[in-house]
Amino acid sequence: MNKDMKILIVDDFSTMRRIIKNLLRDLGFTNTDEADDGQTALPKLEAGSFDFLVTDWNMPGMQGIDLLKIVRAHPDLKDLPVLMVTAESKREQIIEAAQAGVNGYVVKPFTAGTLKEKIDKIFERIETPA
Amino acid sequence: MVNATRLDLANEFLDAIQKGNEEHADEILVMIAAERESRLFEEIGKLTRELHDSLASVQSESDLAGIAENDIPDAKERLNFVIEKTEDAANRTMDAVEDILPVSETIRTRAGQLQEEWSRFQRREMDVSKFKKMGNELVDFLDELNSNSDKIYTGLNNILMAQDYQDLTGQVIRKVIEVVQQVEDSLVGLIRATGVQAGPRKVVSEIEAEGPQMNVGNKYNVVNGQDDVDDLLSSLGF
Repeated sequence: MNKDMKILIVDDFSTMRRIIKNLLRDLGFTNTDEADDGQTALPKLEAGSFDFLVTDWNMPGMQGIDLLKIVRAHPDLKDLPVLMVTAESKREQIIEAAQAGVNGYVVKPFTAGTLKEKIDKIFERIETPA
Repeated sequence: MVNATRLDLANEFLDAIQKGNEEHADEILVMIAAERESRLFEEIGKLTRELHDSLASVQSESDLAGIAENDIPDAKERLNFVIEKTEDAANRTMDAVEDILPVSETIRTRAGQLQEEWSRFQRREMDVSKFKKMGNELVDFLDELNSNSDKIYTGLNNILMAQDYQDLTGQVIRKVIEVVQQVEDSLVGLIRATGVQAGPRKVVSEIEAEGPQMNVGNKYNVVNGQDDVDDLLSSLGF
């Protein structure tokens, strides 16, 4: 896991984007960019060079779950690690996200410790050969 | 009981037919039909008036028009106000935190350095010139500490004051709850007055976004915290 990796933070509330950006910075990740919706996130991802996607679920234009599905179906983006950070907590939603290929699922409200733990776990799994 | 007018018309019709007066018989038929039509219209008119009166009474009791024109737009404005206020409070708080964090980090680092130097002094590993240097560093540190403490104090106060939104948003939200209650009462009145039956409840898809859940303990289909999420995922092999 490279601390210089480029991370895209997607959430329709600017305060949440700010919180996540700050938490990532505290963990040593300073190379971050933001989008306020699945719709505005997609062109940024397609322009390339992102190593990690952190996204909310409930967004007015394109929801995070749909962004995730598009990413997984996209030839250039299909292996992009994705962490969902969301208030959505119905069992079926969590299962839906897992089946759609999300790498981690954090429910709000969350702690800095949880965020770190999930990020570490995602990259541990990626870097450990199966 | 037979309508007298109708009976007369019927007799006249019969008479006309018997006398072979086709034209007059047709006229009578038209009159009979018209008479029936006018009674139908009377019935419809009566029902319409009844419905109108009943709706008017619901309207006046609940002031639905007033609610639609004034209270609901007002409620929307109020809720937008809540979003603005809470966003503002969050940003002010984070501003203060972003000011304080580097300051507290600096204090920690410098204090750590001085501690190390002091230990060296205590272990008699320090010569006089280094001791003098440490003395100066200590003076600098104490000066910095003074001004940094002010920064921290100010920042913490700003955070405290930023919490003032809660009282304002609380009042506003209470007002909106009142409006919602009024709308609920009016709708119940309207439903009763018009005899509308409740239809089958709209089913919310299990994966549709709902935002944060309330009363989680009572809901079987909702997880309760990050631990539950992790358990669910690992039980499915993810």
